[in-house]
Amino acid sequence: MAIPATAAWSSASTVPAIETHDLGVQYDLRFTRKRTMRESLQRTISRHPPERFWALRHVDVTLTHGESLAVIGPNGAGKSTLLQVLAGIMRPTEGSVEVRGRISGLLTLGAGFDDELSGRENILLGGAFLGLRDTVTRELMPAIIDFADLGTFIDTPLKTYSSGMRARLGFSIATAVDPDILLLDEVLATGDAQFREKSKARVIELAQSAKAVVLVTHDMNWVTEYCNRAILLERGQVIIEGAPSDVVATHLERTAAARADREAQAKAAGLDPRVR
Amino acid sequence: MFISPSQMASRRVSANPSPLSLLREALAEISSRQRLIAYLVQADMKKRGSDTVLGNLWWILDPLLQMVVYVVFVTILARSSEPDYPLFIFAAILPWKWYSSVVSDACGSVVGRAGLIRQIAFPKIVLPIAAATAGVVGFAWGLIPLLGLMLFYPDRISVQLAWLPVIAIVQYVFSIGTAILLAAANVFFRDLGNVAGHVLRLWWFLSPSLYSLATFDSLKEIKDHPILREIAGLNPFAVLFEAYRAVIYGDSGGGLPHAPDLLPLAELLVASLVFIALASIFFKRVEPDFAKVL
Repeated sequence: MAIPATAAWSSASTVPAIETHDLGVQYDLRFTRKRTMRESLQRTISRHPPERFWALRHVDVTLTHGESLAVIGPNGAGKSTLLQVLAGIMRPTEGSVEVRGRISGLLTLGAGFDDELSGRENILLGGAFLGLRDTVTRELMPAIIDFADLGTFIDTPLKTYSSGMRARLGFSIATAVDPDILLLDEVLATGDAQFREKSKARVIELAQSAKAVVLVTHDMNWVTEYCNRAILLERGQVIIEGAPSDVVATHLERTAAARADREAQAKAAGLDPRVR
Repeated sequence: MFISPSQMASRRVSANPSPLSLLREALAEISSRQRLIAYLVQADMKKRGSDTVLGNLWWILDPLLQMVVYVVFVTILARSSEPDYPLFIFAAILPWKWYSSVVSDACGSVVGRAGLIRQIAFPKIVLPIAAATAGVVGFAWGLIPLLGLMLFYPDRISVQLAWLPVIAIVQYVFSIGTAILLAAANVFFRDLGNVAGHVLRLWWFLSPSLYSLATFDSLKEIKDHPILREIAGLNPFAVLFEAYRAVIYGDSGGGLPHAPDLLPLAELLVASLVFIALASIFFKRVEPDFAKVL
């Protein structure tokens, strides 16, 4: 169609970078439990009802370019699943996801790409995995090596790296590719204090240059200081969405309430005369 | 329809793609990620080279040692009548080593990259393709001991060896199909690797590996049931072993190397391409569940 490229570009800036509608991800426990053939055969024969559970349900998230969204919640709330769906690693069971722009993210930093290869070779392999052209990766190489700051380790196999060094390399690769949308999972907690500061600065820089950032973290200070929106996930559902301070407050309240609840229950159970 | 310049990078998840679009997607992914496949093959080579003391020398020693085992086994127990028997079975051991290494590597190709699959989105189909391609390198190494062995049988050296790449391409295509199928299936059934080992062993002995297809004809069972001979001929490795043997060894009757039977090879090639298509559709169908299962 005859739409001038400029018009399309300017409209792209108002169109959200990420849009999900009634997103749901269901896990089928028949397979996720890593069963052997014998077990699955037994289950098929004995006609167990399929075990399924929703890791995410009815999630509506909209994110425009330049926003940085924090996803918080207790363990097992579905935070990482949400990132995986946004990254295209997982297909939603229901609802829709729409992502506009080049997406990048290392969801669990530290896995690395290949243990036998050197840091330098891992950058090339990583670029190829992320879908970059080889010439582009080679151009980015000096900047990545510089940011990761691994010294002579850049030419030794990845298996000799500490977990902090792996995280640094991973972070450097993920942010060097100049993504439109950056997904980060707990990355700010990795590396030493110095690298943490450096990576924070990088994330802020990316967010300011009109990139969309989605960040899973337990660092509440980071959420209130640097994110402009937050959502609280619990058991796969969005509990509250809004200003970071409100969401963090709700989260802390609910965690405290849940803890008090558990303690009260434990107490009640402990003092129950029938138990004694 | 609105077309934006950023559409290349945008993604919308549709519910149920048709088999044809899955196949088209798979082919596009393979052709656009050739560099990634090349890097994966290199990484694989490096791993093999660095793991053991003798490193890459094992590519040469392995088939030779296996040949010695079979020569001892067959000459003592079965009293083979084939002349130049070492070369006779080496012509089968070489392609078989390639295929069985592809099978075991393919089984682990997706499962072994679980960490990566959970953290970045990339076309997973490159993993079995890389496993199948790494096998070619092993086969190429194996040609060194083959040529060494042939020096002992100088009258069998001929221009017919030029057919080797043609036969190898047919085997490569067949092994890609196998790799894609096994890589995906092993994600859901982890015991496939164990099963595959036994299936391979049985397959090796049922194929004309230690004997020629012609020896089948003299068996009483085959004479009584000619259909068995037909079934034996359908075995891809009956076709491949016979072809390799034709150009490396010749005939068991003492005939010198000659051109392979091209019709069965062509049929196998076409069947393998169909196999790749079906395996790719299956792979793409289950690919979205990999991250959940791994």
